[in-house]
Amino acid sequence: MDGAGNMQSEKSKRDFLKYVLGGGLMAWVASVVYPLFAYLKPPKQAEVEVSSVKVGKLATIEKDSGTIVRFGNKPVILLRTSNGELRAFSATCTHLDCTVQYRKDLGVIWCACHNGKYDFNGKNIAGPPPRPLDEFRVVVQGEEVFISKNA
Amino acid sequence: MKGRTWQAIVALVVICSLTSTPFGVAADQCRTCHEALGDKPSTLFKRDIHSQKGVSCADCHGGVASAEDMERAMDKSKGFIGVPKGDAVSEVCAKCHGDAKRMAQFRSMIPIGQFKALQASVHGRLSTTGKERIVQCTTCHNAHGIVQVADPASPVYPLNVVKTCTKCHADAAFMQKYNPSLSVDQLEKYRTSVHGMRNAKGDPKTAECASCHGSHEILPSADVRSRVYPTNLPGTCAHCHADASYMKTYGIPTDQFEKFSKSVHGVALLEKHDLGAPACNKCHGNHGATPPGVESISKVCGSCHALNADLFSSSPHKKAFDERKLPECETCHGKHEIIAATDKLLGNSQEAVCSRCHSERERAKGYQVAGTMRSLIDSLELLERKAQLLVSDAEQKGMEISEARFKLRDVRQARLEARTKVHSFNEGQFREVVAKGFATALVVGEEGQQAIDEYYFRRLGLGVATLIITIVAISLYMFIRRIERSAVHKQTSI
Amino acid sequence: MSSILKKTYEWIDKRVQLETLVEFMGKKYVPVHRHSIWYYFGGVSLFLFIIQVVTGILLLLYYKGSEQLAFESIQFIMSKVQFGWLIRSIHSWAANLFILSAFIHMFSVFFERSYREPREITWITGMFMLFLGMGFGFSGYLLPWNELAFFATKVGTDIAGVLPFVGKPIMVFLRGGDEVTGATLSRFFGFHVAVLPGIFTVLLSIHLVLVQRQGMSEPMGMENVPASERKTMPFFPNFLLRDLLFWLIVLNVLAILAVFFPWELGKKADAFASAPAGIRPEWYFMFMFQTLKFIPAKVLFIDGEVLGVLLFGAAGLLWMIVPFWDRKSSRGEKSRLINYVGLFVVVYIIIFTTLGYVL
Repeated sequence: MDGAGNMQSEKSKRDFLKYVLGGGLMAWVASVVYPLFAYLKPPKQAEVEVSSVKVGKLATIEKDSGTIVRFGNKPVILLRTSNGELRAFSATCTHLDCTVQYRKDLGVIWCACHNGKYDFNGKNIAGPPPRPLDEFRVVVQGEEVFISKNA
Repeated sequence: MKGRTWQAIVALVVICSLTSTPFGVAADQCRTCHEALGDKPSTLFKRDIHSQKGVSCADCHGGVASAEDMERAMDKSKGFIGVPKGDAVSEVCAKCHGDAKRMAQFRSMIPIGQFKALQASVHGRLSTTGKERIVQCTTCHNAHGIVQVADPASPVYPLNVVKTCTKCHADAAFMQKYNPSLSVDQLEKYRTSVHGMRNAKGDPKTAECASCHGSHEILPSADVRSRVYPTNLPGTCAHCHADASYMKTYGIPTDQFEKFSKSVHGVALLEKHDLGAPACNKCHGNHGATPPGVESISKVCGSCHALNADLFSSSPHKKAFDERKLPECETCHGKHEIIAATDKLLGNSQEAVCSRCHSERERAKGYQVAGTMRSLIDSLELLERKAQLLVSDAEQKGMEISEARFKLRDVRQARLEARTKVHSFNEGQFREVVAKGFATALVVGEEGQQAIDEYYFRRLGLGVATLIITIVAISLYMFIRRIERSAVHKQTSI
Repeated sequence: MSSILKKTYEWIDKRVQLETLVEFMGKKYVPVHRHSIWYYFGGVSLFLFIIQVVTGILLLLYYKGSEQLAFESIQFIMSKVQFGWLIRSIHSWAANLFILSAFIHMFSVFFERSYREPREITWITGMFMLFLGMGFGFSGYLLPWNELAFFATKVGTDIAGVLPFVGKPIMVFLRGGDEVTGATLSRFFGFHVAVLPGIFTVLLSIHLVLVQRQGMSEPMGMENVPASERKTMPFFPNFLLRDLLFWLIVLNVLAILAVFFPWELGKKADAFASAPAGIRPEWYFMFMFQTLKFIPAKVLFIDGEVLGVLLFGAAGLLWMIVPFWDRKSSRGEKSRLINYVGLFVVVYIIIFTTLGYVL
């Protein structure tokens, strides 16, 4: 109990402990706060069921073209007819789930796997597809184009 | 004209007075006079089945059959109706043919529902005037001189049906009034079919119009109840073609329907009611029903499986198959029994169809290509499955990997495209598509692996957090001890 | 730096009179004896409850309480939201640890007879909180809308339905209809996140205020020990720090459980599917569930299930009002009966719970 050296070492020990405790607490707080903030950050797919997707500016979508847009985990094909009309259909072929594409030369939605063809209303017109493509709603708000589920 | 009518009436009166006997009148005065006149109805009626069964003119036309006097015999107030017009024709027939009791009196075994069936049929419901049916009983059966169906003289005898139906159905001007979009070339096509040719040669057993379409109850082919509606058609054909004893004399198999029902097409059509799937007629034609020729099979199949057919037609196999008289698609896939094609068909193993013609010694080039293609598609499938497992695993571990999951579709698509590309029988083209799949599968697999690694890294992070907590806990414990010891120290020192 | 802190403290103190609180805390002592360890389980339960509140609120941000989306939204939380799997896993594990720690807390209080005068209200509020905790568990179990939960809820609400007279209305009230449907889910969701937490908070406040006002209960017979030999420790900082230490340990356990034994989600519920094998309630209902299985279909003229439910009801009630019939303890006398009763209950619960999992 006597001796300044003893007291000294006691004191430095205590200081060390304080540092460990303080540092540990801070690290602990960080290890709680980090996952918390990561959790709060909206995920890439903001909702369980995607109900609408922003495609982009109307001006960037060419006439007489078709683009594949990701809608949740499924592709959607956005068509723009030569007179500027916009239409969207599920891009999953109803035959064997391949992804369909727009064939400018044929003027139809076309599936590369088995030559299935759909017209501009999504109706199966040739090849093996048994059903028409599901339709999606296209909404133009100002300059922006959105695709949403058909209610 | 007027004079002729007068002459006829005078002659009639004379004949009637001549034939009447002073002792009384003959049973059927109508026939007595009309037969003496030699007019067509009464002449025909002599051999009419109804005449033989004792049906009199008056039973259909009304009036008093026993009356000698013409005025009295054809007295409208006594129920004489003359020649029935429009719907009244069929109603007159239905008086007996729709009444089971009266038919029993004639000891007839004919069913009694024809009139009702006719009323519900396409012929009974369509009308230009809205007042009468297109078709009355007499349209097909004639009015006088009706004989049993089995009698070769009957207009509805199997060999005559075609002529009877086409009276209207081959008349474009007539059909236009009722159904402008319906073609009028059925007869022409029918004559090219096996059925039509045999029928023309006098075989009453082969199918004619009524065999498939029905008789009184005919419905439009788009009606789900119709016998020729796609989902009903195979059963209609099978009615004869699956009947071994009926088909015996023709020497063709009778198991097509059985095979078809189990085939990929049959299951789609009959079980899933997928109207896109072919019924018998999509390949054989309907009125011109005939087996497609060896060289045209790829065209027939290609009407739906267009890409495969195109590839095949421009492949070296086209020529080789034609030379050897091999039925194109059918050689590898079969016909009625077609099941969903698998990769097993491809390759140079025993079970692969390629090895039927290609071997190490004979046509060795194809043997090699087949082997390469098979191993390529197998490894693509393996890669796809591996990537899929990695993605699922990462998802199970709670990793966000929807991008990779989305790309996985492309791998599958490449594999399906590759399976189609097989029909080019060209290694280069095939490799191109497969390579696309390989590349994507590798990327997906890499992303999956990365996500899994990330998961373990996170777990490590949690381990670190646990360690931190442990350190804090220990130091806290020591801190408490120190506080307490110093408190005791203070107490004792005070 | 320290001067700013000091000024802030003074500013608040002037308005809220922190001084008295600090004084109160400083003078508060916690008795130290060989049963002191049990004091911590109350704190641990509190800590777990706080974790439940925090993680619960976090889950609420992404969860959707509807038949179509409940299952999918949990799937979403677990796969798409960063650390969502961790939050959900912690919520599930902490729920179970909470019930466990509350049970331990209750039994320690029971055996120490800490419920005796003047702490009857603390005991009763505690008991109510335990029941609410089980209610939390029961309602929360259904929220993922998976197969096991669906059928367990069906069976659980069926049991409530056997009670005479009130049973049927209670069942219909719980289910929001005659069958377990999406309506039940909405209802349970409401109970779980609004009704139960509201009541719980009120009870918890009463419980905590009473504990602070009355101080820790000492074991029986401590009064006879001379004051000089009685050991105590200051509540602040000694006891609080120890509490904190325990909490850290619990947190560690929780983290390890959540990471290495993540809570499964199972298959989505389908009302028309046949019940899967192995339908069982959560472990803390197991002993009751198992007892009901053992009671014969008819006992005299009463339905076996009705009898079971009534017996458990009566036993629970007796247990809850123990401060009022155990007069001996209140007088400071030793009561062997209480020991036997407590021991019987503990052994009963352990045996029947084990049987439920073994059989």
